[in-house]
Amino acid sequence: MKKSSSKPIVDIKDFCLRIGDKDIVKDLSFQVHPGEVFAFLGANGSGKTSTVRSLLGIYQATSGTLHINGKPLTPDTASRVGYLPEERGLYTRSKVLDTMIYFGELKGMDRDDARKFSLDYLKRVELDDKAHTRIKKLSGGQQQKVQLGVAIMNDPTLLILDEPTKGLDPVNRKLLITIVEELRKKGTSVIYITHLMEEVERFADSLLILKDGKARAYGTVKQVKKDFSSSSIEDIFVSIYNEKSSEVAHV
Amino acid sequence: MSKLRSVIRHEYLTIIRQPSFWIVMVSMPLIIGVIIGLNYMSNQSGTERIEEVARELETVVVVDKSSLINKDVVEQSGLSLGDPSKTDTLLEAVREGESQGLVVFPEDLASSQKYNIYVNTSDITTISAVTSLSDNLLKTSLFIPLGSPEIIALAQNGASSTLTFYEDGQQTAGFNEYIAPGLFVILFYIIFAFSVGYMLTSISEEKENRSMEMVLTYVKPRTLIVGKLLGVSLVTLTQLVFFATMGTIALIVAQQMGSLALPFGLDLSQVVLDPVTLLLSTGYLIAGFLMFAGFMTTVAAIAPSAKEANNFSSVFYIGAFIPFYFIVMLVTDPKNPISTFLTYFPLTSPVVTLVRNTVGNMDPLMAWTALATMTLFMMLSIWIAVRAFRLGALEFAQTVRLSTLFTRS
Repeated sequence: MKKSSSKPIVDIKDFCLRIGDKDIVKDLSFQVHPGEVFAFLGANGSGKTSTVRSLLGIYQATSGTLHINGKPLTPDTASRVGYLPEERGLYTRSKVLDTMIYFGELKGMDRDDARKFSLDYLKRVELDDKAHTRIKKLSGGQQQKVQLGVAIMNDPTLLILDEPTKGLDPVNRKLLITIVEELRKKGTSVIYITHLMEEVERFADSLLILKDGKARAYGTVKQVKKDFSSSSIEDIFVSIYNEKSSEVAHV
Repeated sequence: MSKLRSVIRHEYLTIIRQPSFWIVMVSMPLIIGVIIGLNYMSNQSGTERIEEVARELETVVVVDKSSLINKDVVEQSGLSLGDPSKTDTLLEAVREGESQGLVVFPEDLASSQKYNIYVNTSDITTISAVTSLSDNLLKTSLFIPLGSPEIIALAQNGASSTLTFYEDGQQTAGFNEYIAPGLFVILFYIIFAFSVGYMLTSISEEKENRSMEMVLTYVKPRTLIVGKLLGVSLVTLTQLVFFATMGTIALIVAQQMGSLALPFGLDLSQVVLDPVTLLLSTGYLIAGFLMFAGFMTTVAAIAPSAKEANNFSSVFYIGAFIPFYFIVMLVTDPKNPISTFLTYFPLTSPVVTLVRNTVGNMDPLMAWTALATMTLFMMLSIWIAVRAFRLGALEFAQTVRLSTLFTRS
């Protein structure tokens, strides 16, 4: 594992989540280290989003611990955490700049700093002429760029991206990946949820494959490939989802 | 605190920057004013037209079998009096179009209180003119024996009265005491119509926009709800200032035109500001608003979409208007068990307590107990709202079951 000797920025131990009479996540443990890109993989409904919501304190864990920088995350300590949820959405009736400044403030930024960051970011993603446009008038891809801008505000130490490239055209997808790679170079840790295995191959340091709420593969990309005697993450993913649940996982 | 301030500002600015907000707020009093004006003008013009047609009626014949109609009044009206024995011939003349109309006052007019009008036209203005003319003919004939025109006018129109009130040997302001607390009833409905609805819209839209998940990462649910409540309250305050300004302008204009006549002898210069009454009204207003806001937040949080939230919310809107069906009983029969029930029942208590506080028919114990009860319900509704919000904020596909609100940790 990259930088395994460093203090983990994310540390999840024996995490279980039960909603109603359904076990969503069972005994999940993993760590993410500073500057690491951690691919969090699994089919739809495997428990990825629920894990992220629990890590962010939106859901309450049934048992286990979920720590960011050594303690559970609360809205008061989330200022340096960026989150791009799977359920995309912004205030459609508000203007782009107002929305970004609002989220910047919620993340603890000074209003002027939030404005400056927003204007710089909008210029970078070629949306500076849309700063005073209502969000509902933007295209889906443009809205997604604004939402990424919100996620990376306030220089995050941890960035959680839930299927960030979903619905993006190749140009904007490349732009997003470039921005994420820049952040990674600056030391930002990234939890990257995706169904696109070529993205995992391209820039993930480590990964975890979740199936039915349980970890089925976990480690550095190299280690997981070695454990499964495969050179393709996609093949490993498919084999895990094709195996019977009674078979022992490579964790 | 700064996050709360950000939420309040965002909520306030989001609403008041919407062009629809200003369009609705400005157009509402304008539309009401235009409707009242058009109604007045159309009535005025209609009356004038009928009078004009009535003056032009030449061949309407009046047959009086009752001996109650004054001959001079008939002639002064420009009509002619017909021979009762020739009623059939006169009727035939109307049928053939030789005469515009025939009015027959029967022998038993006093007991039957009915008479007949025959006209040879379907023109509504002519029919109205003949009807109005014959009605005036009858009334004036009956009033003639009273003597002077002043007495006839008095008998026809009645007189205005000046009310003087006494209580415990002291002269009181009477109905003028109702003005200030009565305004709180109006205020409640303005707040109810706008702010409570904004709360519902704000949360259900945030759910529909899918922006909730990001917001909840950085803001506690309680901070978000309180921020929204305060933001929406500021919006209401803006509306109240606007309506108060419009109302003051309308009042000044009406006073200058000399057309300001309030019912029941109300006199705005005699408004009574009783501190205890106003304190209670303020308490009922705030507790009532927050209670309904809590209900609406719950509805918006548990419903998966704005449309479904609106459907659910109608129950609460109905609750707020129920007291109007019992208004007479609430004012005149305060000890009735139904009055007492409506005073404490959460959905009806805000309006009922405000109305009863206006007319002053609650004893101090009941007035303060009702406020305490309402405050408890308000706290309960906000507690449920926060809980519903925690559970339902990220539930986009289905309605959160009410039982879940009280069982799930």
